[in-house]
Amino acid sequence: MNPSALFAAVSALLIVSSGPAAAQSGLLEKRESIYNNIFIFGDTDSVTMTFGHNKRYYTESGMKLSDPGALTVTYTQLMTVGLAYTPKAERILEIGLGGGRTVTYLNASLPDSAILAVEIDKDVVDLAKKYFGFKESGRMRAVVADGRSFLMRDNDRWDIILIDAYRGPFVPFHLLTKEFYALVKSRLAPGGVVVQNIEPSTMLFDSATATLNSVFPSVDLYDGGGNVVAVGYDGPSMRQSDLVARATAMQSRYNLRYDLRTIVAGRRVLSRPTGKILTDDFAPVETMRAIEQNNEKWKDQTEAPR
Amino acid sequence: MPPALLRGLLLFVIAIILGFALMGFEMLASRYLYPYFGGGINTWASLIATVLIALMLGYLIGGALVDRTMSPRLCGALLIVAGLYLFSIPLWVDPLFGWILRSVGDGMTGIILAATALLLLPLTLISVFTPFAVRLLLTSVSFGGRLVGYVYGVSTVGNVLGTLVTTFTLVPMFGSRALTMAFAAITALCGLVMILCAKFLRGERA
Repeated sequence: MNPSALFAAVSALLIVSSGPAAAQSGLLEKRESIYNNIFIFGDTDSVTMTFGHNKRYYTESGMKLSDPGALTVTYTQLMTVGLAYTPKAERILEIGLGGGRTVTYLNASLPDSAILAVEIDKDVVDLAKKYFGFKESGRMRAVVADGRSFLMRDNDRWDIILIDAYRGPFVPFHLLTKEFYALVKSRLAPGGVVVQNIEPSTMLFDSATATLNSVFPSVDLYDGGGNVVAVGYDGPSMRQSDLVARATAMQSRYNLRYDLRTIVAGRRVLSRPTGKILTDDFAPVETMRAIEQNNEKWKDQTEAPR
Repeated sequence: MPPALLRGLLLFVIAIILGFALMGFEMLASRYLYPYFGGGINTWASLIATVLIALMLGYLIGGALVDRTMSPRLCGALLIVAGLYLFSIPLWVDPLFGWILRSVGDGMTGIILAATALLLLPLTLISVFTPFAVRLLLTSVSFGGRLVGYVYGVSTVGNVLGTLVTTFTLVPMFGSRALTMAFAAITALCGLVMILCAKFLRGERA
C-alpha cells in the first residue's frame, strides 16, 4: 500500500467512525435533540460535530480553528463541484446543514449567490452557529424542516441542490428514492444539478446511484476518500473538455480555494449502474445497509470521462 | 374435540392474525408517513398515539356492541369494512398526504391528521374484535379472568410477530403497497370466517 492510499484509508476510517479520535479531544457540549444525540468535541485547534449512534460517533462536520475557511473533510471540498456543471450558481439549496461548512465556504466564495440550507434539527442549526461560524444573512438562510417535506411545499427553482442529510451513518430512506429524486429534479432550474454525498461501503450505495441515474440521465461520481460525491444532471454526459472549460471559467471568476479544475480531474462517469432502483414503495435500505462491500468496488460501475 | 375448545381455538387464531395485521400495518404506516412528514420521533409519537386511540375506540365500541347483539356476523362485517378501507389506501394516500402537507404543514397537527386518515377507522374496526372474542368465549364468570388474559395474551403475540416480521422480513421482501393489500385481504378473510361460522361461534348447533 502506498503512503497516499494509506492516508486515504486512515481518513476514510476517521470519517465513518471517529470514535477513538473524537475521544482524545474534550467534549464541549452534548445535546439530545428530537432527532439526534449531538456531541461537540474540541481541542486547541479543532472542533467537530458528531452524532452518537449505536455507541459510536459519526462525524458530521469539522473545523480547524486556526484556518476556519478550510474544508477539512475531503468530500466537503468535492461537494462544491456542482459549480462546474451549471451555467449559473445564483441560487443554491442544501439539504442537511451539519456544521454548515460547505455552505459557509460557498457563501464566502460566491458573493452573488443566494443560499438556503434546510436542516431538520433545530439544535444542529444552533450548534452550527455557536461553534462552526455559520451565519445567517441576506444571502444565506437556514430553514428548519425535513428536506423532502420542504421541497414538496416550496416551488422555487435552484441552480444547485446539495444533499448531505445523514442520521448517524444513514441517509433516511425517503431521501434516496426515485420519487424523491423526481421531486428534486422538478425543483432544478434549467441546467441545474444535484450533488449528493453517498457512503460507499454497503450495498445501499449501488442502489442509491442506480436510483439517481433512473431520474437523471447523467451521473458522475467523485471519490472523497471514504465518501463518494455523486452529481446528477439532465441531458447526455458532458464532454470532459467542456466540463474543464466551465471549471476553468468559474475558477478564474471566483478564485476558489479548492480549485474546480483539480476537482473535475477526478471525475468518474457512472456507466454501468447495477443496484436495484429504490422507490417509496420498495426501499429495503436497512437490509442493504447490512451487506458490506469493499469501499473501492463502486469504481467497477464507472468509466473515465471522454 | 369438544365444540367449546374448537370455538376457542378458532377465535384465538383470528386474534393472532388480526393482532399481526394491526401492528404490521402500524409499521407500514411509518413508510407512508416518512416521505411527507419526515422520519423523526415526532412522526412515531403521532403514529403511536393514533393507534392507541383506535384501540381505545375499538374496545369501547366492541364492548357496547357485543353486549347488545352477541353477533359474530356484525363483528365480521366490521372486519370486512376494515379490509376494504385498507385495500383502498394506496389509491388515495399520496394526493391526500400531499394536500395535508401543503394546507396544514408537517407539524403535530398535520402528522396526526395524516395518521388518523390512514389508521383510525381500520384499526378501530379491527380492535372491535377483542371484546367480541371475550364475550363469545365467556361461559362462566369463574373463568372470566383467565379468559380475558388469554385473549389479550394471544392477540399480543400476534402484535409482537406483526411488528417484527413485518419490519425485518416482509417490508424488505415485498414493499409497502403489496403488504397493505395482503393485510387488507387477511383482515377481510377473518371477517368472512366470522360471518360463515356465526352460528358456531355463538354456541348454537350449526
